[in-house]
Amino acid sequence: MKLDSGPPTLQSRRTLSLRFNLPISKTHQFWDGLREGKFVTTRCTDCGEVSFPPQADCPRCMGSNVEWVDMGTDAELVTFTYVLVTPTSFVQNDPYVVAIGRLGQGLKILAWVEGSQVERLKVGDKLRLEARSSSDGAPYYVFVTAP
Amino acid sequence: MRKVAIVGIGHSRFGRRAEVDIAELAFESIKAAMEDAGVEKRDVENVTLGSAGGWYEESLPAVVVNEYAGFHNLPTMRVEAACASGSAAVRSAYLSIASGESEVALAVGLEKMTEVDTLTSVELMGRAGSYLWEFENYGMTFPAYYALYAVAHMDRFGTTQEDLARIAIKAHHYASLNPLAQFQKEITLEKAMNSQMVSWPLKLYDACPITDGSAAVVLASEETAKKLSDTPVWIKGMGVSSDSANLSKRDDYVGLGATVDAARKAYAISRTSPQDFDVATCHDCFTIAELMAYEDLGFCAKGEGKNMIREGQTEIGGKIPVNVDGGLKAKGHPVGATGVSMMVEVSKQLRGEAGPRQVPLKKGNGLVHNVGGTGHYCYVTVLSRSA
Repeated sequence: MKLDSGPPTLQSRRTLSLRFNLPISKTHQFWDGLREGKFVTTRCTDCGEVSFPPQADCPRCMGSNVEWVDMGTDAELVTFTYVLVTPTSFVQNDPYVVAIGRLGQGLKILAWVEGSQVERLKVGDKLRLEARSSSDGAPYYVFVTAP
Repeated sequence: MRKVAIVGIGHSRFGRRAEVDIAELAFESIKAAMEDAGVEKRDVENVTLGSAGGWYEESLPAVVVNEYAGFHNLPTMRVEAACASGSAAVRSAYLSIASGESEVALAVGLEKMTEVDTLTSVELMGRAGSYLWEFENYGMTFPAYYALYAVAHMDRFGTTQEDLARIAIKAHHYASLNPLAQFQKEITLEKAMNSQMVSWPLKLYDACPITDGSAAVVLASEETAKKLSDTPVWIKGMGVSSDSANLSKRDDYVGLGATVDAARKAYAISRTSPQDFDVATCHDCFTIAELMAYEDLGFCAKGEGKNMIREGQTEIGGKIPVNVDGGLKAKGHPVGATGVSMMVEVSKQLRGEAGPRQVPLKKGNGLVHNVGGTGHYCYVTVLSRSA
């Protein structure tokens, strides 16, 4: 019990740590491609809808026949921010720039902009997607500013 | 559908409420709302709790709150629509009466957010989107999501950081007149503009605080409302809509599609238009959210929100006073309580009981705009003095 700073509370002795196993078996091709530096997503072979994030079932016609197609990596900066107050699980990270970029086919994707100075970024800038791997081997992707 | 009215309102003090647990906090509003309505426990046929949850220790808050208040054997549940959970609770109670199932129903909004540390609270909100694609690798936060909208809006329409700061100044001004608000002090433009950068271009004073609080409303059918109250506030219509979980699936970032759609529905159901309101509460979790709401609700054209705040059109005496209770920004934003708190404020205004914050009543209508998440859910409710 604390009596000196604010009202008395009991600090719970039980902690709860949650770590989820994220199922990706129906869309593992995206993550497999990323390990080879490729960006692929799903296209419905019934209605032609291309989705990102990839999904095994088509959100347009609800068909379940999809093929994997190349997404391209050239993007245009749609909007961005510079995150200075980060959540608990990112406190070890330096502040980061997050952007939404529009790819050639009109798909949009959110990622960090690597190595960028936020004050030099502007809407409409050319970006490029690149694959990365975390220190423990997990694939992810970032934007880099195109020359 | 039967007509439904708000006949009782209750509202706790918002802020850091370490002296109460969730049930004690909810009870403050439940008791006040029932006393205001003049109903007994035996009259209440349905209790719905709006609470997003996760910040406090209880997993089943509805039954914990009901047990404390002594409600037994009633239809009850906790509903979740993120920051619009309060409006979702009111909708559930409203439908219970409109359908003929209940005569009197209670909607409670509740959140207790300060039992965990601030950055854990930031994390819980940042996960509110499409987890794998937005949080796992990129650590999005709630300010960051809204900053994406702010940057796009500023780029397209010339909205400035100073425009946004003026919304914060307005919020703090009205909160200083609301004894239940978390913040009780006015702020200056200099203080807002020089505050800590949270997610560029949004600063500390662009953001709502982390808040504990509760609010409750008693709803009744037309027949019962007329017996219970001389000043029933009628729910003329609720427009409800939603949008994609993942922000990258949205068409544009200068407004919330869910607000536009919910407003269109609410105006159609209630046969009103944006010019028909004396007062509005808009979902200002961030200053940019309030500015976009002016446009998305049709109080001005898209891109002209900045003129509304520059000209004082959303202050008392302006075209449409917005958030004259201090808003989420300065009254505080206990996530699940907010929608119900907005209903309480607009009811107070339409009853002419808002004291120094009272707006002039000419049309007799008020609007409640409550967004869940980053435009993931939206509830627009039209309230009126006339049935």
